[in-house]
Amino acid sequence: MTPTWLTGLLLLAPQAGDLVAIRVKRAETGAGAPIEHALILVEHGKIVEIGEDLPVERGIRVIEREDWIATPGLISAHTRVGLERTQSRGFDPAVTPRSEIDPRQDAWRELLELGVTTLGLYPDGQGIPGQAVVVRPHGDTLEEMLVEDSAYLKIYLQANASSKKTLREAFQKANEHVEKVAKEKEKWDKEQEKKKKSSKSSSKDEKSEEKKDGAALQDGEEKKDDKPAEKGGDVFVPPAPDERVKPFLDLRAKELMAMMSLRKAADYVHLLDVIEKEKDLQWFVHFPLYDDCDFYEVAARIGEAKKLVLTMPEVTLQQNALRERNIPAELLKAGARVALLPRTDTLNGYRDWLPDVGRLVALGLPRDAALAAVTLEQARALGLEQRTGSLEKGKEADLVLWSGDPLEPSSRVMAVMLDGKFVHGDVQ
Amino acid sequence: MTKKKLFPVLLALFALAPLAPAQEEGGGAEGAAESGEGSSDDEKDAKYFAIVGGDVYTGTGAVLRGATVLARNGKIAEIGYDVHVPAGAETVDAAGLRVYPGLIALGATSRITTGSLSVPADPTRPHEPISMRWDGVLPMPVVNPTHIETGEDDDHEEHAPTQSEGDEEGDGPKSEIEDTFDPFSSYLVLSLATGITTVQQSSAAVKLKRGEIEGVLLADKRMVSIPWDLNNPTGISGTRKKLERTAEYLRELRAWKARNKKDEREPSKKGVDTSSLRVLSGEALPLFRASNREELLGIARLAQQYGFRPVIEGCEEGWAVADELGRAGAYAILTPRNRLAKDESLVRAGGASIENAAKLHAAGVQVAVRAQSTSIDTVGTAGRDLLALPIEAGFAVRGGLSNEAALAAMTIVPARLLGIEHRTGTLEVGKDCDAIVTDGDVLHYRTFVQYSVVDGKLVYDKEKEIYFAHIRPRPKKAEPEAAQPAEKAESAGDETEEPAEDAAEEGEASEGEDGPKDEGGEKQDG
Repeated sequence: MTPTWLTGLLLLAPQAGDLVAIRVKRAETGAGAPIEHALILVEHGKIVEIGEDLPVERGIRVIEREDWIATPGLISAHTRVGLERTQSRGFDPAVTPRSEIDPRQDAWRELLELGVTTLGLYPDGQGIPGQAVVVRPHGDTLEEMLVEDSAYLKIYLQANASSKKTLREAFQKANEHVEKVAKEKEKWDKEQEKKKKSSKSSSKDEKSEEKKDGAALQDGEEKKDDKPAEKGGDVFVPPAPDERVKPFLDLRAKELMAMMSLRKAADYVHLLDVIEKEKDLQWFVHFPLYDDCDFYEVAARIGEAKKLVLTMPEVTLQQNALRERNIPAELLKAGARVALLPRTDTLNGYRDWLPDVGRLVALGLPRDAALAAVTLEQARALGLEQRTGSLEKGKEADLVLWSGDPLEPSSRVMAVMLDGKFVHGDVQ
Repeated sequence: MTKKKLFPVLLALFALAPLAPAQEEGGGAEGAAESGEGSSDDEKDAKYFAIVGGDVYTGTGAVLRGATVLARNGKIAEIGYDVHVPAGAETVDAAGLRVYPGLIALGATSRITTGSLSVPADPTRPHEPISMRWDGVLPMPVVNPTHIETGEDDDHEEHAPTQSEGDEEGDGPKSEIEDTFDPFSSYLVLSLATGITTVQQSSAAVKLKRGEIEGVLLADKRMVSIPWDLNNPTGISGTRKKLERTAEYLRELRAWKARNKKDEREPSKKGVDTSSLRVLSGEALPLFRASNREELLGIARLAQQYGFRPVIEGCEEGWAVADELGRAGAYAILTPRNRLAKDESLVRAGGASIENAAKLHAAGVQVAVRAQSTSIDTVGTAGRDLLALPIEAGFAVRGGLSNEAALAAMTIVPARLLGIEHRTGTLEVGKDCDAIVTDGDVLHYRTFVQYSVVDGKLVYDKEKEIYFAHIRPRPKKAEPEAAQPAEKAESAGDETEEPAEDAAEEGEASEGEDGPKDEGGEKQDG
């Protein structure tokens, strides 16, 4: 629409080998208002341009589908569909479900045909079962499927002493590690000074080293890890953290997000009680809905904190009353970010996913927010909101072309584009 | 500004002190005076809450008609007529209504404090059986409603105090309630709707805070169960033996301390059990479950022998041995509607009596009332559960107990049993502002709680909750019970909201109340 766009197009036109344009009736971008008569220009797996009625340079292949509707590829940030049920784990924060992924599973194909382009797969278990990985439901090998190795740490937190203790202790362990590193550093510094003062006999050196071992004798394995670091000489190499401690250090370093899986409103208050001192923590909430659930009680607080909530397209009954509560809408109104997961984590659940979201829209959830709830907000939970999740310039070209309104049960997925390539549908 | 204002009010309160029957009250007021003076620095951050113009039943014997209760940061700062309510204070208009201390329920099932939700497993994983929840604990454990759980197993108890000392430098025992409390439980709201602001949950006294979990645990493990059942003679002899041994140990310990010889070893603790030790050293009250007079007499004698005050739950035949129990300084936890048939093979008086509470009270026994069922259920035992606590006390009134004593049986007496009488149980300056505002006598079946206040925060408003708002809805400008005084008040002018009747009775005071309120506001502005 603006001249700058046009010049951009003209510049791009000559090297058009990879360039493809898609013209659809409407693009529901997942970020803001829909674009009527949208043209989406894709190159090298990225959306290079999107706008209303954009002119296209001659020579660029244009896929004209004037009665189709484009949306971003659907994302489910919290799923185990396609994975086998495994042994339950209690506290295993370093585990990911990587080894459980079988690229030859039929489920991936079916998900792709339902318009799902990105999945956050979480490890099964209770307590703190591990970290989620991000995959595309497309590819012949695990490496082809894998997008991100650790998206978030899954933490179940409930209002009971053992659950709170597990999380408290995990951070306590992280503190202990930090202290240990500080101590090692101190020792190392002293040693360096000694070395500077005089090049002394090796026997003395050994003695001091023995002392050190005595002090650090907490964990047999870690001791071994430390030794080469200390002997290393010029540069201080901090001892490597236990693999069960590392995720919590990563959380504090903002290298990892935490997903707090809650069951009732009280869990949220107890969660805040546990993590009140962890100011650097980046976390969001996972809250499945069911009748009698009382999550509306904390909607205002979550909204005020502008938290992201992964929940379900469900209208539930208030406790002790036959009063319907549209909790996703209440959360949204309060200012929270809402992502909506399928009501059941099965292929059937994915088939009903968008119609369920559509029902919520009919009951008052804003349509834009509803669409973002299955795309951009999900990407946010996976830390991929800069890369995918909406139809915007510069983002990866993951898009779904629908025969009609995607929230209508009668609409079908006509084509799916993943990273700029059509992986499903008859589009030539 | 407040220092000057506070002093006259406090003086007035001291003047009121003779009205209070117990001695602790004076101490409470003194404490408040100190805190009132000391805390004037953080005046700006102070949060005020006022219950204005209600008939205040303080629970200490005094009734202040048309008075105001002012809370500052959750504690009662002032009660009386000449109360300046700071601008910005949250207020509840209690004109024509009554203000009582929040009720304390002895015994409450875990659903009241830890939530009513039987939380399902993750519905996004449909095949997960509920037993696979990660902590392996099923929600909502079923608790025998007829039994006070004090959680005082000997082994358990021996560990508990040391643990807590390790945790937090020994600043009190710890119950798990702080980690399990559900401040959104609908049963909690129903309890507040009954006027209950504190419950006993297992061994702990738990304040029913709404929407927050900080500071819900008031006290823990104040009572220990002592077996005393005539059908189980070995239990009785066991109790005797333990007490005897423990008393002996305490004597030895005292003597050893008095001798103060360094080389002498501390007396052996062999055979001393923690429950008896805590009872005899005054840390805990012994809780007996007994109903027939022989058991009760035995307990009374035991108490006098070892010099402790027994708490007797049940106590159905207590009226027949009231004098003995009174002399033993007993507390009785009664359920006035409980029935016990007389043993017809005996000539002497026995069986349950409607006069039980009245006679025990007259003999000097401190009477507490406990609901028949300590759960809340919308089906089944309606009228007997926790929601019927005031009605249960009402039955004691029917049997001759005074209204005052019946109120105490739901407030200050349970507070003493739970070891929280310094925090709650009466409306006194310095105590927590746990109050209820009712539209009539709290003991009357027709009465509804209109507002409940916990720690100076409005936590229940009948009009705003779904439960009872539709039953006798509150008129726009309250006074559902006293329509006539309200009319008079209207004719008296806009400035006074007090019923004219009260204004006539307390002429000066009422004037004084309205006057300074407005003046104070102007002064602040200027």
